[in-house]
Amino acid sequence: MLAAFAGKCLGGLLLLCLYLSLSGGSSADPAMTTQDASSQSQANSLTNMKNELSEPMATTQIVSWQTQGCPSDPVTLGHEVSVPGPNLATKESRQTSNQSITSVQYELLLPGASGTSVETTISLEKVVEVELTCILDKEYSYLKSFQVSWKRGNETISHTNKTDNSWSIKVSVSDSSKLGSYNCTLKGEKELSGIFHLQVPKIKGKEKPTISYLRDTAVMTCECPGYTAISWTWYMTNGSKQIVINESLLTDRYVISKKSASITQLKILKLTKEDGGEYWCEAAFELGKSEGRLELKVLSFMAPLKPFIAIVIEVVILVALIVCYEIYSTKVKRTEAEKEFDQIEHLKSEDGGLESSEARQRRI
Amino acid sequence: MSPPVSSDLGYVPPDGGWGWAVVFGASISVGFAYTFPKAFTIYFKELQAVYSISYSQIAWVTSIMCATTYGGGPISSILVNRYGSRPVVMFGGLLCGIGMVSAAFCTSIMQLYICVGFITGLGLALNLQPSVIMIGKYFLKRRPIANGLAMAGSPVMLCTLAPLNQFLFDSFGWRGSFLILGAILLNCCVAGALFRPIGPGTTSVKTQVTVEGKGALKRDVTEDAVEMSSPTNLPMKNKTEEEGDRDCCEKINQYLDFSLFKHRGFLIYLIGNVLMFLGFFAPIIFLAPYAKHIGIDEYSAAFLLSILAIVDIVARPTTGIIANSKWVRPRIQYFFSFSIAFNGICHLLCPLASSYTGLVIYSVFFGLAFGMVCAMLFETLMDLVGAPRFTSAVGLVTIAECCTILLGPPIGGTLIDTFGDYKYMFIKCGVVMVLAGTFLFIMNYYNYRMLAKEEKERKAKEEDPKTVRTENEGRNNWIKETTQDGPELEPLREEQEEPKKEVNGIIEV
Repeated sequence: MLAAFAGKCLGGLLLLCLYLSLSGGSSADPAMTTQDASSQSQANSLTNMKNELSEPMATTQIVSWQTQGCPSDPVTLGHEVSVPGPNLATKESRQTSNQSITSVQYELLLPGASGTSVETTISLEKVVEVELTCILDKEYSYLKSFQVSWKRGNETISHTNKTDNSWSIKVSVSDSSKLGSYNCTLKGEKELSGIFHLQVPKIKGKEKPTISYLRDTAVMTCECPGYTAISWTWYMTNGSKQIVINESLLTDRYVISKKSASITQLKILKLTKEDGGEYWCEAAFELGKSEGRLELKVLSFMAPLKPFIAIVIEVVILVALIVCYEIYSTKVKRTEAEKEFDQIEHLKSEDGGLESSEARQRRI
Repeated sequence: MSPPVSSDLGYVPPDGGWGWAVVFGASISVGFAYTFPKAFTIYFKELQAVYSISYSQIAWVTSIMCATTYGGGPISSILVNRYGSRPVVMFGGLLCGIGMVSAAFCTSIMQLYICVGFITGLGLALNLQPSVIMIGKYFLKRRPIANGLAMAGSPVMLCTLAPLNQFLFDSFGWRGSFLILGAILLNCCVAGALFRPIGPGTTSVKTQVTVEGKGALKRDVTEDAVEMSSPTNLPMKNKTEEEGDRDCCEKINQYLDFSLFKHRGFLIYLIGNVLMFLGFFAPIIFLAPYAKHIGIDEYSAAFLLSILAIVDIVARPTTGIIANSKWVRPRIQYFFSFSIAFNGICHLLCPLASSYTGLVIYSVFFGLAFGMVCAMLFETLMDLVGAPRFTSAVGLVTIAECCTILLGPPIGGTLIDTFGDYKYMFIKCGVVMVLAGTFLFIMNYYNYRMLAKEEKERKAKEEDPKTVRTENEGRNNWIKETTQDGPELEPLREEQEEPKKEVNGIIEV
């Protein structure tokens, strides 16, 4: 079973890489698609990632941060991943002159599937310098007079790089104020736009509530697959205020454990009715915080007991019915058989040896 | 019931009437036994988090459950031989219920192994075998149809149990779900209640009438009044003969018939099936991962399994009807070997399917083949050893199959991990099943020929008009009677070879 699960995992990862590499549009560069966990991008939008110093290799592909429940690879933004075969090897991307900051490039192909605008979401967990590029599709090169502008909200950003069909800006994302939506707008005969959403990684909580019982244990898990959080904090919503679950607060009942770099777990022992409600797990990244929501429901044992008793009663009733029916039908058969026996005797005495039709009917 | 004519059961099975209620009960029991381990996997993730264990540790629960269900076969057989099917099934249902209810209060993984794995598994074992045995007692002419319908309970139950489990888990968490599942498993007791005992002299009414009205009654057997002497004495003598036999040396064989290991047909079936199960279940387990591996999304991959289940539901009763037809029933062993080989060929062709459409086609054929094999799994065993010895036979077969059933998927998983490619697993399964099918085909051809030869020899002996009071003799008479074209025996003529085989099964002891 473990072999099967490992095989599934590996296969899933591999297939995702291949899928990402093969789905794509008409870009001249090796086609790669990066889809963030919460991405809204259209199917045709391409986001390329290249290291600005190195030539992209033909087999360079990007692995999405969604590693589908496998122990997450240390693949974070800015890393190139080459997939030479069934083995996944991660390579650190080349560094720029600044030792601690990695530089990455993102590209958007205009226009997108919907015709005029295309979006992509990029999750950044640490300080990084990004270069955002909008590339005009070859099919639209007939557009002659147009203007391209980069904006974030209301402020305009000047281009850092410009070619015939691509326009780039460089953003140094050093703190949370630099996160947000950057859009490039192409105004001319047609209006095309591409939007880059820069944000901290989203936390995966659980949409469905966790259900547990009084005096039982509840376990709630939060994870940010593919990223490493600096620290985790758990909150509980009591009424309208949020209470931080500290280590010092009720240590015997709350156990917070860090299962791995990207998974945290809160275990609550000896549940009471008041423990039910909303819980928040907050991950702190270099660039900000991100929250995930979980819900805990505490039931008393009477809740499942009612359907249980109902089904048991149904079983007992059915068994009783079947047994009664059996007793009844054997009684009926007995009286019938006795009647026919009398008839047989009667016929035997009347007519020596001719079989009676009733006797034959009795066979089934 | 009818006047006891015979099949080696000592009475004529009703082939209908209350038999259909028994089929319904059997389908419930069989359904629970086969699908419960599969439907249980929904709880794995939650249990892993609660007990802080790895996937392989939690997977042991279903492995233990499967192993106990199949390994508990001989225990079932012994209990059925001693007490009859009904009490055993009801006790099994009770055991399942107790197992799951106690699992709801477990505090460690070891307790879960015992409650869910061992106790529930044993309860399911006590459900599975007696259900199949009862079908053999209630049906003869229409037995393949009855078997097909009863085995169809498995995919039906799978389609209902999986979403039900999900719903229970979302509403009540895992503890509440276990509690309610325990109650649901108690429905096996209802199925058990339907297994009304049947057999020679089960009701005093019958024996009274037969004793007194035997003269006129025996006439009902054949249109033409044939020898009155032996057939009329048959019902009485059968009863006394049975008791005489039992006092004889094979006391152990009364509980579990080890003399089956000298039975040629049984050995053929055993070896063929043990080989087949090595490659039987692995493709189902790895179908969805394989689909995801070649690029299909999760929901479509799950849909493949649904297609398989739906085709399976249709295939099983259909196979039963086909197997019951007059062309196939005498040669049912060939049909069985053909369906196993067909299954193998499907697996061998699977690696060629590289698109979703290809996989859908594969799923359809796989569902068809899987249903065909499952529907005839027990029918062919009954056909070979005969209904009375089937009780012990099924127990011995399931414990032997237990090993290969458990080995099959891990071997497939190792192949996938070693080569990184699913096609070797499919090739392995395909090859194993084609081999098994061919083996069964050849050996059954040999078996049929030997049986025909033995039959000829026996007929030659019968030229003496001795009235030897053995069961065999009574059967010979019956066969002679059937050769006389009585119109109501017309449907039975097609199965002439079958009772002959059953006869020979006894002769070989």
